Amino acid sequence: MTTDTENSSEENLPTIQKVISILWPSFVMAAFATIFFFTVFSPSELALIKGWTDVSNLAGYTIGFFLFWLLTALSCALTCFFRKPCTPKYYKNTDELDDAEE
Amino acid sequence: MSEEKKISKQATSSSNKDDSGTMYKKRDKIYPRETKGVFSRLRNIAMLALLGIYYGLAWLQWDSHQAILFDLPARKFYIFDLIFWPQDFFLLTLLLIVAAYSLFFFTALAGRLWCGYACPQTVWTEIFLWFERKIEGSRQQQIKLDKQPISTAKLTRKISKHVVWLIFSLWTGFTFVGYFTPIRELTTEFITWNLGPWETFWIFFYGFATYGNAGWLREQVCIYMCPYARFQSAMFDKDTLLVAYDEERGDPRGARKKGVDPASIGKGDCIDCKLCVQVCPTGIDIRDGLQYQCIGCAACIDVCDEVMDKVGYPRGLVRYTTDHAIHHEASPILRPRVIIYAAILLLLLAAMAYAIVSRNPVGLDIIRDRNTLYNETPMGLVENVYTLKVVNMTDHKQTYELSVSGLPESKLLGDYKNMQVASGEVGSFVVRLQVDPIVLKRPSTAVEFHLQSTSQTDLAVTETGKFLGPLVQ
Repeated sequence: MTTDTENSSEENLPTIQKVISILWPSFVMAAFATIFFFTVFSPSELALIKGWTDVSNLAGYTIGFFLFWLLTALSCALTCFFRKPCTPKYYKNTDELDDAEE
Repeated sequence: MSEEKKISKQATSSSNKDDSGTMYKKRDKIYPRETKGVFSRLRNIAMLALLGIYYGLAWLQWDSHQAILFDLPARKFYIFDLIFWPQDFFLLTLLLIVAAYSLFFFTALAGRLWCGYACPQTVWTEIFLWFERKIEGSRQQQIKLDKQPISTAKLTRKISKHVVWLIFSLWTGFTFVGYFTPIRELTTEFITWNLGPWETFWIFFYGFATYGNAGWLREQVCIYMCPYARFQSAMFDKDTLLVAYDEERGDPRGARKKGVDPASIGKGDCIDCKLCVQVCPTGIDIRDGLQYQCIGCAACIDVCDEVMDKVGYPRGLVRYTTDHAIHHEASPILRPRVIIYAAILLLLLAAMAYAIVSRNPVGLDIIRDRNTLYNETPMGLVENVYTLKVVNMTDHKQTYELSVSGLPESKLLGDYKNMQVASGEVGSFVVRLQVDPIVLKRPSTAVEFHLQSTSQTDLAVTETGKFLGPLVQ
């Protein structure tokens, strides 16, 4: 019962909140991941292993951050996607619920 | 959860019915009316001080370096006299915990002080609102302008507002990058049109984020993005300072003629002018009670006091108070929650200060030569080769000397004397250690390397390394 009402409110979220719930938590986590990862590994030293000599640290941080962000954003997007209700019956129920509320 | 939802529903429905002639639709632009008063002045002082620190501190020089510089390419952070290295990472973790506890402490004590006065989102939104008011005029003029059909006058105002916002945002982005790349170098690079691609990228990225957050998203950042707003209720109790409307005194609300005693017509002190709703930067009605959208900026207190002065009622219909105080109960400042938060905070601060002071400003890494296990010299001695990385975290150039123990009658060769490392640098030295194989009892022996500064006796470090030799029969 409670989950139904919660889900129905989730469906009615403002677009901005939907966009933010994908881009924002992933941004924060990507920032953390970048800090942790590059505290341990220096980007230019990592690049040397691959034989790339012209990768500056700043370039490494930037590319690393955006790769992390891409991954975390994908993960957030998948979470949001799988949270969508799948049974058509569900919609009927919430309509009734909404009617009852009003 | 359901209660919170109800509250927010109320909030939106009441702000929908604004009396300013506009029917607010959900998530429509909020035009906060400008306020004048004690708390607006406090907010402006906080805003100017914080912006001044942000834009000014980047230019401050300290000794031979920028006072605050997070030198990412060289992987060290300068904060005035202190230099931090990747190995000081735990201090950053400690700092984050201290910051979290400060937030808990101040929230329990004084509610959302951070949100109303110090949060960058509030500070930059305020300065962007100031630009907007200077260019588009007051709240009424802005609403009127937005309703007008497109004209040259409207376009000029709109475009100039965005140009000013963008320039200010790019300056913000430039300053941000200036904390990572020395800002004076950055300025020279900018003047000679020689900015590096990554610096340029981050100036635009941060500038764009500023423009978007302070110009467009504004209160939506507080409502949808801020985790603090969602969990602050956990730190609140009935003695936490908050901005509240005195319902007992104000209700029933309603218009009345000037000079009429409200009690005689069965009304409270609230004249229902709705100015408190118009000044609210998050568009809520404070009279609906405590709402998580309220950032505690106290704009409604200022405007309500002004109105109370005009109609001749006492000030403080909307005021800083606590839940207990507004219901005429005792409201102590010192209570277990506050004392516990304060104690933990002090403990953490002391731990952090101790950790910073007791950092060993000399670091030693011992790297054994990877290519050979050991060499045998023509004299029949066994030799190991090491590369030493010596980190000098002091603010002076240092000269070190190396000695070893753990191997009887061992002999050091190479750069083990007069090892010079400049302040904030890592020196690399190759040393060879030779020993008679007779003393080796195992193929691998632990050896202690002592590094000692020649000028400062207390500047020393000891690290353990391995000495490899032939299998002993």
